[in-house]
Amino acid sequence: MEGLIIPLNHVLIVAALLFATGLAGLMFRRNVIFILMSLEVMLNSAGLAFVAAGAAWAQADGQVIFMLILAVAAAEVSVGLGLVLQVQKRFKTLDMDHAQKLNG
Amino acid sequence: METGIQALLAPLVVSIVALILMMQIAFKRHAIVSWLLGCTGFILAILALKPMADIVPKMVTPLLLSDQYSLFFSALILFSGLITTLLAKDYLQNRRGENEEFYLLLLLSSLGAMILVSATHVASFLLGMELLGVALYALIAYPERGQLPLEAAIKYLILSGAASAILLFGFALIYAVLGTLSFVGIGQALTQPILEDQQLLILLGTAMVFTGIGFKLSLVPFHMWTPDVYQGAPVPVTGFLATVSKGAIFAALLRLFIDAELYQYQGLMLSLSVLAIASMLAGNLLALKQDNLKRILAYSSIAHIGYLFITLIVYGVLQQPGLAVEAATFYLSAYIITSLAAFSLLSIISSNISETDLDDISHIQGLFWRQPMLALMLTIALLSLAGIPLTVGFIGKFYIFTAGIEGSLWVLLAALIIGSGISIYYYLRIVFQMTMKEPAGGSGAANMDPNSVRLSVLSKFVVWLLIFMMLYLGVLPQTLMEYLGGLSL
Amino acid sequence: MLQNIWLIPLLPFVSSVLLILTAGRLPRRLIAIMGAGSVGLSALIVLAVGMQFMELQTPYSLTLWVWMQVGNFAPGFSFYIDQLTVVMLSVITGVGFLIHLYSTEFMQDDSDYSRYFAYMNMFVAAMLILVMADNLLLLYLGWEGVGVCSYLLVGFWYKDPVNGAASRKAFVVTRVGDTAMALGLFLLFTELGTLQIQPMLEAANSRWVTGDTIPAIAALLLLGGAVGKSAQLPLHTWLPDAMAGPTPVSALIHAATMVTAGVYLIARTHGLFLLAPDVLMLVALVGLFTLLLAAFTALNQTDIKRILAYSTISQIGYMFLALGVGAWSAGIFHLMTHAFFKALLFLGAGAVVHCLHHEQNIFKMGGLRSKLPIVFWSFLIGSAALAALPFTSGFFSKDQILLSAFELHGTTGISLWIGPWLWAGGLVGAILTAIYSFRLVFIVFYGEAKTEPDRQPGWRMAAPLSLLCILSLIGGYFVLPLASVFPTVAQHQVSHLVEGISISIPLIGVLIAWLVYYKHSLPVEGFTESSLGKALRNFWYSGWAMDKLYDTIIVKPYTGTANAMRGEWLDRIYHGIVSLCQGSHALLSRTQGGKMRWYATSMVFGLIILVTLLGWVS
Repeated sequence: MEGLIIPLNHVLIVAALLFATGLAGLMFRRNVIFILMSLEVMLNSAGLAFVAAGAAWAQADGQVIFMLILAVAAAEVSVGLGLVLQVQKRFKTLDMDHAQKLNG
Repeated sequence: METGIQALLAPLVVSIVALILMMQIAFKRHAIVSWLLGCTGFILAILALKPMADIVPKMVTPLLLSDQYSLFFSALILFSGLITTLLAKDYLQNRRGENEEFYLLLLLSSLGAMILVSATHVASFLLGMELLGVALYALIAYPERGQLPLEAAIKYLILSGAASAILLFGFALIYAVLGTLSFVGIGQALTQPILEDQQLLILLGTAMVFTGIGFKLSLVPFHMWTPDVYQGAPVPVTGFLATVSKGAIFAALLRLFIDAELYQYQGLMLSLSVLAIASMLAGNLLALKQDNLKRILAYSSIAHIGYLFITLIVYGVLQQPGLAVEAATFYLSAYIITSLAAFSLLSIISSNISETDLDDISHIQGLFWRQPMLALMLTIALLSLAGIPLTVGFIGKFYIFTAGIEGSLWVLLAALIIGSGISIYYYLRIVFQMTMKEPAGGSGAANMDPNSVRLSVLSKFVVWLLIFMMLYLGVLPQTLMEYLGGLSL
Repeated sequence: MLQNIWLIPLLPFVSSVLLILTAGRLPRRLIAIMGAGSVGLSALIVLAVGMQFMELQTPYSLTLWVWMQVGNFAPGFSFYIDQLTVVMLSVITGVGFLIHLYSTEFMQDDSDYSRYFAYMNMFVAAMLILVMADNLLLLYLGWEGVGVCSYLLVGFWYKDPVNGAASRKAFVVTRVGDTAMALGLFLLFTELGTLQIQPMLEAANSRWVTGDTIPAIAALLLLGGAVGKSAQLPLHTWLPDAMAGPTPVSALIHAATMVTAGVYLIARTHGLFLLAPDVLMLVALVGLFTLLLAAFTALNQTDIKRILAYSTISQIGYMFLALGVGAWSAGIFHLMTHAFFKALLFLGAGAVVHCLHHEQNIFKMGGLRSKLPIVFWSFLIGSAALAALPFTSGFFSKDQILLSAFELHGTTGISLWIGPWLWAGGLVGAILTAIYSFRLVFIVFYGEAKTEPDRQPGWRMAAPLSLLCILSLIGGYFVLPLASVFPTVAQHQVSHLVEGISISIPLIGVLIAWLVYYKHSLPVEGFTESSLGKALRNFWYSGWAMDKLYDTIIVKPYTGTANAMRGEWLDRIYHGIVSLCQGSHALLSRTQGGKMRWYATSMVFGLIILVTLLGWVS
């Protein structure tokens, strides 16, 4: 374990920017595919932060968590894509602003 | 290592049965066999708790701790899973399609919940939470082919995924500063002096972690998904979500709270008080004039979580457990039993009469005159939710109340009282609706020929059991209270 | 046997639950067996317990379970049995069983047979819990339980709105008292830290001295509960209306058991009342005024059940008088004898009503002596006991009360000299009692027949009547083993003159009734038909216009104010609360628009709020 060469804060800022991008996508995109992509970005930015922090502390924990996050993200997205297919089939649209009936 | 296996026997049993069930579905679909396998899995796992109890507390790897506390919540989770499985048989019979995977998903989801309640490390916390969650997304969308369940599932998937991401990012920030991911380690590192500029990271991280957990528990202002998901999901799944998912997350939060000694931080306590008050008031106000039964229960669950958070704040005020942990665990148990009963009854009403869920308040109009027993039981469940004496709900609320007095949390108690007052209105509104004369036309339960409603022995057994538990624990709660009082975390 | 006392309330309770759950699907025979049998079994257990208790003589307590232990608040589900409890248990289960047996025939034609017995059994269970409770919380559970059952049974024939109104009135008026009582319980709990009756009384004794303010307030609040439940001034107005229920209900609840709960409460907590002599004096005065007022009213009623209702109020007044002058045993003794003869009278009245096509006006009856002989003898014996004619049960108990009143030797204030006055008041009541009870007998059973009975009571009605007749006659010879429960009272050393007057007064009353209502030889019409007489009669007929008074000074101003305040600022506050709730509901509901993007945004807002909060605080 070498430790982190660049300052940890820089990596964290990048991760935070990525995270904010994903969050913004979630808030502003309407197409469900793009929303899933944004979600993926958020999860991976958290992973990036973990990896960087793990490297800074010269521990393997950060990378282990990153592996877990990868698995989790894969599971989420696979279920998500399955649902997207059904959304297209039943709502005839991928626009989440229109594919919605529950409210109140 | 052998004791390690013994200490995790119940989760292992569930995993193995899940694998067998998967095989069975792959080779030959058969609804009854799958159902039986599902039941077996839960029953065996419950039986497996006994050998586990002999060797607790036992730390298995740095990730999981098997102790009395995790065993108690595992028992609750498995019990809820079993009840859901038993009810699902009747419910799924009236629905089209092949639904064998339902039981598989239930097993997996329960497995996740069990890991969650024994988690002592961020990694196991994450694993448990996601296993619970991913299986739930599928469960919500799966048994019905309509639009509403699908919408509920996709909303839950995306928002819950976002919440997980926020939570993880929060933990990443905390990890970046403290360099440890175990709950106890975080607590110890937090007591060391921290640099000025790193405190901001800790603060941000804490806020993000609590945002994620607040979302899963549907704490205001992270509660918006709750009613939509509750309404869209099939009733048995809603019941499972309301009990297992919420219960396991709260149990895990409690462990994090105590292990990491979060109660020391008055700023956090104050913020949580604000969220708790907001939940108690907003949850009850939102339910006030709601016409959909599932949405009413969703909004009321928001309020109940608000009540539960009082216990955490009491802990913070006293700096020691006092009555807080007892009150929290008792209230959670009471809430789980009562919610299970309410959703089971809704499920029975729905599964007998119609292919879609009968969850509008007009559907149960006049139920008292057609199905007096069902209506009476639903009334008891609602009274328990409202916290009327001689039901378990009352004892739970009284417990929290006493804990609150112990901590002199007058503002929170005022919110509790106001919230409970409002809640009486909408719970009793349902009861009144059931006693009203049946409408002339329409498609409610009241219009069905009472003879066409056949309760299977199974459903009868399940609801009677739950009602009995609710009343028994309302009249004789002392055994459970003593047991919970002796639980050590 | 003593360890099995939990069976006593359990049996009727279980029967009631079963009857509720089966909702009338059982055959009538089985319902009757369950309804009456469960109370009968309880009565047998009480008998066995009583036998054993005679030897034991020390109080026995049994904790079934502790309800919940939260902090230092640990109300137990536990029973406390002493001689007072045994007496109460015997009355409740014994008389209760006879009334249940009677009901199996009386309610024969009613379509809600099962519902009737479900309520009745529930009532008995609640009443038993009330008297067996060893802490005030459990007692309160029973107290409210009997209130609810009374409400349900008064309004048993709920299809007639009049009955509904009567049951509401009974519920609301007693609620006033119950609220006072609940406040009393809170006060005692905060002051003494326990609700267990015996430790509480001991703590009160060691903590306070006679005449302190706090025990006086607590006793006063408990008295509030007692006057509500026992229909004493000023909360007595509900009882006459409560006669809307089936007659056996009136016999059980509104004569023998529930209305005496107030007497029981005061007797049970007498240690507290002894610390507050002024309140105790008030108890006596309440009793005296109630007994006089109700006796005058009973004299002018025409409805057979209302006469009995007012006479109940009046007799409970005697019990309060007894408690007030410290004659605890005499009060409980009268409670028991009253339960015998008043149940007998009510059941007799029920039989009359039952056999006369539901006629209740006594002036439309007459000459029933030969047509309903069993009922006639029941009524005669019951009235004799009520009027306290020598050697009947009522004589012994009432005599003790009057002599104790005469003997009152207080140490302070008015209690120094008021004894003879209380005695004299009681005598006036006694003569009135004799007149109105025999007025009833002469009008209903003598004279010319005005209606024909269409049936005769069967054995299930006749047997309880006969048994109660015997009890009413010999009940006075029972010696209640209450000596160890209450402080001892000095032996009576009164002159023979006082004794003689007490004995002869009821006889004079009967004589007057005989002259006026049988012989018609006393020229009372001259007075009763004069304008003053008419006014007085109307005044008394309406129960001293108490209903009207309450209507004028409480109900009318209240509704008037409520109406006047409609739209006023005070009302606006309440409407404001409603609108606030509804408005916030509408506002919050609008946030639940269903758009996922908005939900995600709200999460981000929440995160920002949380960060701000955390940052702001730390």
